[in-house]
Amino acid sequence: MDQEAKLDYLIEYLLSENPHANKEIRLDKTNTAEGKIALFRGLCNIRQPEPVSEQFIKVQDAFLTQWNNERHITTLQELEAVHPQLYLWQGDITSLAVDAIVNAANSKMLGCTLANHQCIDNIIHTRAGVQLRLECDALIKAQGRKEPVGKAKITNAYNLPANYVIHTVGPFIEERGVSPLKEQMLASSYNSCLALANQYQLNTIAFCCISTGEFNFPNQRAAEIAIQTVKKYIRDTGSTLQVIFNVFKDEDLQIYQPLLAGKE
Amino acid sequence: MKKRANFLFIEKNDDVYTLSMTPELQDDIGTVGFVEYTDGETLKADDAILSLEASKTVFELDSPLAGKIVERNTAAVSEPTLLNSAKAEENWVVKLTDVDEAAFNQLEEA
Repeated sequence: MDQEAKLDYLIEYLLSENPHANKEIRLDKTNTAEGKIALFRGLCNIRQPEPVSEQFIKVQDAFLTQWNNERHITTLQELEAVHPQLYLWQGDITSLAVDAIVNAANSKMLGCTLANHQCIDNIIHTRAGVQLRLECDALIKAQGRKEPVGKAKITNAYNLPANYVIHTVGPFIEERGVSPLKEQMLASSYNSCLALANQYQLNTIAFCCISTGEFNFPNQRAAEIAIQTVKKYIRDTGSTLQVIFNVFKDEDLQIYQPLLAGKE
Repeated sequence: MKKRANFLFIEKNDDVYTLSMTPELQDDIGTVGFVEYTDGETLKADDAILSLEASKTVFELDSPLAGKIVERNTAAVSEPTLLNSAKAEENWVVKLTDVDEAAFNQLEEA
């Protein structure tokens, strides 16, 4: 089966599972390869965490492996530290082959459920595969309640080049703006991810800019807290973790560069 | 004597330390809809006292002090909005004994 045939199979399976999908997602313009990927992605995004057939997983994994590896995959060896143990890298976090990438999750912790939404939670779940939502669902069910802000959970990364995904819920900023509690919550997200990475004896972790996207945390202040918290953690614990600050937007790159170059 | 830490007030009366919600914490989390206390009779510093779900966030309230739990505000489990009350007799969270007084004294004055 070539990639397009795999997509046809996957889309047919997902549509048969969810006959009302057309109410949540546009099903037209799906004759091109790109259109098919978008449809597949959207259907995975809205899919409930229900069991899935072995055959689906087999075809999905084959498709995602190829789709994910069509891009350049970046490893730590290609990066140069800007500060001992600290790295800055701009790009799509799902193309990093490191021990763990950090996902900016929400308290439901099931991954983004909006079809084709352009957020990190969506692309991480999409490129990892439907197994990721199933594992998250099992973790949340075992916990018995929603995921609190400032904590972290670790899962497999499935079809991603990374080994693990660490999910954390950062603070959400509403009209009242940033408060001391929200700042502490953001620092707590970083600390919880780092502690989990150490607990799993990982060597490399890549952070996204937690809370800055959909959660409205001001980018500059978020970057300051991110860098301060990671530096303090390394100092206090003597951790040998290699920490990558992954930025996606140019704006964040320009914020992180001088902050990381600064002496402390 | 009254102190504050971890966005909570801590009021000392003899050997009992009562932790309650600060207005800042109440503003930040919004209307509380669900409260679940953690199990156990003692707390270490930074241990979770309870989990809450509020209109603006899902949050774990951590204890700024180590101590033995003598009482929980179980009324807040059935009526979570008590934690939004302005009255300390309603918005208290937990009462502790066996608290290190030196650690308490080091906290910020409320």
